[in-house]
Amino acid sequence: MEIRKVAVLGAGVMGSGIAAQVANAGVPVLLLDVVPAGATDRNALAAGAVERMLGTEPAPFMDRRNARLVTPGNLEDDLDALADVDWIVEAVVERLDVKRDLYRRVDAVRKPGSVVSSNTSTIPMSSLVEGMPDAFRADFLITHFFNPPRYMRLLELVAGPDSRAQAADAVGRFCDERLGKGVVRANDTPGFIGNRIGVYWLQVAALEAMEMGLSVEAADAVAGRPMGIPRTGVFGLLDLVGIDLMPHILASMDATLAADDPFREYARLPPLVERMIADGYTGRKGKGGFYRMRRDGGRRVKEAIDLATGEYRTSVEPSVEAVRAAREGGLAALVASDDVGGRYAARVLSRTLAYAASLVPEIADDVVAVDEAMRLGFNWRHGPFELIDTLGPAWLADDLRAQSRPVPPLLERAVAAGGFYRLSGGRREHLAVDGTWRPVERAPGVLLLEDVKLAHGPLARNGSASLWDLGDGVLCVEFHSKMNAIDADTLAMLRTAMERVASGHRALVIHNEGDNFSVGVNLGLALFAANIAAWDEIERLVEAGQRTYAALAAAPFPVVGAPAGMALGGGCEVLLHCDAIVAHAETYMGLVEVGVGLIPAWGGCTAMLARWAAEPKAPRGPMPAVGQCFESIGMAKVSRSAAEARALHFLRPQDQIVMNRDRVLAAAKQRALELATDYRSPEPTSLTLPGPSGAAALDLALHGLRLKGQATAHDAVVATALARVLSGGDADPTRPVDAETVRALERESFMGLIRQPATIARMEHMLETGKPLRN
Amino acid sequence: MNDVVIAGYVRSPFTFASKGALARVRPDELAAQVVRALIERTGVDSAEVEDLMLGCAFPEGEQGLNVARVVAILSDALPITTAGVTINRFCGSSMQAIHSAAGAIRMDAGAAFVCAGIESMSRVPMMGYNPMPHPELYARFPAVYMGMGETAENVARRFQVTREAQEAFAVRSQARAAQARDAGRLSDEIVAIDSGDGTRVEQDGCLRPETTTEGLAGLRPAFMEGGTVTAGTSSPLTDGAAAVLVCSADHARARGLTPLARIRSIAVSGCEPDIMGIGPVAASRKALERAGIGVDALDVIELNEAFASQAIACIRELGLDEDKVNIDGGAIALGHPLGATGARITGKAAALLVRGGGRYALATQCIGGGQGIATVLEAM
Repeated sequence: MEIRKVAVLGAGVMGSGIAAQVANAGVPVLLLDVVPAGATDRNALAAGAVERMLGTEPAPFMDRRNARLVTPGNLEDDLDALADVDWIVEAVVERLDVKRDLYRRVDAVRKPGSVVSSNTSTIPMSSLVEGMPDAFRADFLITHFFNPPRYMRLLELVAGPDSRAQAADAVGRFCDERLGKGVVRANDTPGFIGNRIGVYWLQVAALEAMEMGLSVEAADAVAGRPMGIPRTGVFGLLDLVGIDLMPHILASMDATLAADDPFREYARLPPLVERMIADGYTGRKGKGGFYRMRRDGGRRVKEAIDLATGEYRTSVEPSVEAVRAAREGGLAALVASDDVGGRYAARVLSRTLAYAASLVPEIADDVVAVDEAMRLGFNWRHGPFELIDTLGPAWLADDLRAQSRPVPPLLERAVAAGGFYRLSGGRREHLAVDGTWRPVERAPGVLLLEDVKLAHGPLARNGSASLWDLGDGVLCVEFHSKMNAIDADTLAMLRTAMERVASGHRALVIHNEGDNFSVGVNLGLALFAANIAAWDEIERLVEAGQRTYAALAAAPFPVVGAPAGMALGGGCEVLLHCDAIVAHAETYMGLVEVGVGLIPAWGGCTAMLARWAAEPKAPRGPMPAVGQCFESIGMAKVSRSAAEARALHFLRPQDQIVMNRDRVLAAAKQRALELATDYRSPEPTSLTLPGPSGAAALDLALHGLRLKGQATAHDAVVATALARVLSGGDADPTRPVDAETVRALERESFMGLIRQPATIARMEHMLETGKPLRN
Repeated sequence: MNDVVIAGYVRSPFTFASKGALARVRPDELAAQVVRALIERTGVDSAEVEDLMLGCAFPEGEQGLNVARVVAILSDALPITTAGVTINRFCGSSMQAIHSAAGAIRMDAGAAFVCAGIESMSRVPMMGYNPMPHPELYARFPAVYMGMGETAENVARRFQVTREAQEAFAVRSQARAAQARDAGRLSDEIVAIDSGDGTRVEQDGCLRPETTTEGLAGLRPAFMEGGTVTAGTSSPLTDGAAAVLVCSADHARARGLTPLARIRSIAVSGCEPDIMGIGPVAASRKALERAGIGVDALDVIELNEAFASQAIACIRELGLDEDKVNIDGGAIALGHPLGATGARITGKAAALLVRGGGRYALATQCIGGGQGIATVLEAM
């Protein structure tokens, strides 16, 4: 069964967000909601949701045009339209009577074999389908998305005892391949996997912090980064999701959990939180939460609440011994630290991990699913069972025994087996509930560098990058410097890779599994060199980058870039020199050098000119490509999705966008192998550029921006240098120039700019604050 | 001597560039429909039309390839023997078309001319696709290429036109245009346009009758930080076409056409490019002198409102009676499709003479690069 058309019932935040993601996949979707009383537009709720989403940040749509794939309607007039829909997602209010009533109406019109799923997070499936016909029960699933559906990768898929396997497979495959979700099969239990463990963790971490007398900052410092959990920690996360949600979640858990569930020990709302909610302190969406920003004159002061008194005070950087210990000694040092931070960490981890261990196989068939759910749903770097392995199962078991708490049977098994995971023959295996070792399976079409690394060592490695063998003649360069910034070592590894591929391999892929593909050149090094006036050194690095990237483009074998996350500056330029790009849908590309007072000088200007010049829909003549590049580079435009990167011509029409991050590498390898057959290097770039008259036209535009106060003094200096490069220096439209000519201009302009104090000031400011300086 | 008359005036609705109802209509198609309507409404024998003179400020892309010839054939209203010439004097293009026809008629080089103008500011960008200024001239004398908004600020400053005065002017232009439309005084000149997707565009789209001085006061300067010119006191980017029939008085008489007004005199004049908005002053003075009349003799004045600042400066410099200027509203309200405006205001001035029973009319406009153009009309 193939899903060609989708309907989402309920145009609230979740429903409309799901519809947007379906549209992002290029699939038409019907969005229906009730007819508001007295409405003139009977589709007002759905239409309003689409309209609202076009103004929401972060954007639910990857491309504004995707909104056209969402057809708004209402549940009274448009139910018949469900007859040609393959998958119907229900995301209406969490009320059993409302849902059941809707299911009966849907069942009367839907086509046989279509799948109906609920996005419920609190109602058991058994209740939802009670009394429904067998055919409906067979076609019914729970698909539990996380908010916001575009950005949160976890999708919990629950199939009931009556659900057809094909229905679950079809929806699972669609959510995985088309919506890009990490689909985790969960059982029909309260909170499924993510919320069961995640909410428990939040409750334990919040209540224990109050109990043990930690400040909110200290608690977040401990229950955040040292545990591989986002820096929002516990209180920062509660502020983010909304503190007023807590009583609802606790009530729902209370109504559905077994009487002896350990959750109940922590299922209480502290009086402080009750008061905060009553006073409107519901988190970031309200007046503030555990943290708040207060205006003090022109300044914004961050404050934190005192958990004991409920009074706000200026937030301070916490000093926690355990956090310092963890920087050296990791998780083990964190829990072993003999201070309140260490004891707090041990308490939170011990409770949370033991709870997780007690829940398999109740909530999921194996530990792999639980770890995956916590990684994707709560952005934990490691799942609970991976954390147990890091601490040692014996540590956890001993800790539980020392507190006279029960040791879950699965944990006992892991103690005996030496952990929940092991390596065997270069593959990762997990401890199944029956005590046997089973391989950690990857779906077909999923290839992870993480797995490749387990199987073999690197072919080459330095401090910033490594070279891996993906098999079938395809090698892969992985960046792994801090934030994958590019430096001389990165370039050296690319050159090594080209040598290795040329002697006996077929193709090269550039990919990594960091949060961001690359944030660009290592600015700290560049600034250091500039501060000691090592101009020759800098120019050598510029040349080395140009030579290396140009060599990638001219290599006698295909090079495929496979980015995800940010690909900025030099990290964007390396992709612009690849034969093809296979980008994750969440790829944010941009040439942002002007933000630090520079211009792209590793062939980025040259490559963008060639991309725009190849645009068949653009007007002819030497200026359109130049004007487009001046705008996108001059304004440091960064795409907010791969689809936008295509509109900005960072991606070409033939470049591929992959929705699921775990499928990017396999698709890139596949693309590389396709290109390797009868591969011919691209023709050398030849550009028709306007020369000084083009620079004059760009200066006119710049002058207009200066007048309007939209360009600063140094903006003008940088833009003028950029204009000279893009217009081709002294070029004449009758004499096309080659790439090397433009690259020489890039070098010249770059070296002119980096000597300027205003550029140095921008670089320093960026390194210190992470934000561009407008000087 | 052979008198030259205006014997018909029509235009398309004027709508906002990019977001308006004509944004998806090709400019050549738009002009062809307007020319066809002019031929039909005036009853001119198309076989006797010597030339289609079509003004266009950025004659490239869909407005390129000597678009006048393309429009002549596309209109299905003119025979293959009618010639076509595209004329560019930026905003003065289609008034120049009228002047060129008048000169040709005086030379006995034809009896009837279609003088039209077109600009799709949606489909051909201002400055064109390939702006390539002469680099040395740009370095030496950049004002030649100066953006129009900046010139409007210069005029405001040099002629001391306050922001409040500009806003009051814009509000009045909007109010007059709205009154004219509501009273049906614009419907005669407008030709409904078939947009090609099954819809007909029948109404002007740029008018903002709700405009108030308070609303305008809240706008940010559009061109210069700390400036006085806003989007509300500037003419909007517009799509539109206009056409007038220019012929000899003899021809009109012999063929039973209905002349609206006689062309009494014409003039062009250069000025400093950085205050191009003041161009109408010198051009109008020349034309009035050639007509042998003073401003007091004028009953109707169509002064193009590229910007309120320059319109006010011209009114003051020339000593015009504001009650006679743009009585059905101007470009701030109606829009300013560059190449089409000259034909619109000249045709409008002629029509207003008929409607109001006055004797003399002046149509004048400023031109980027530093020029003015003016036409004096006399009632029949």
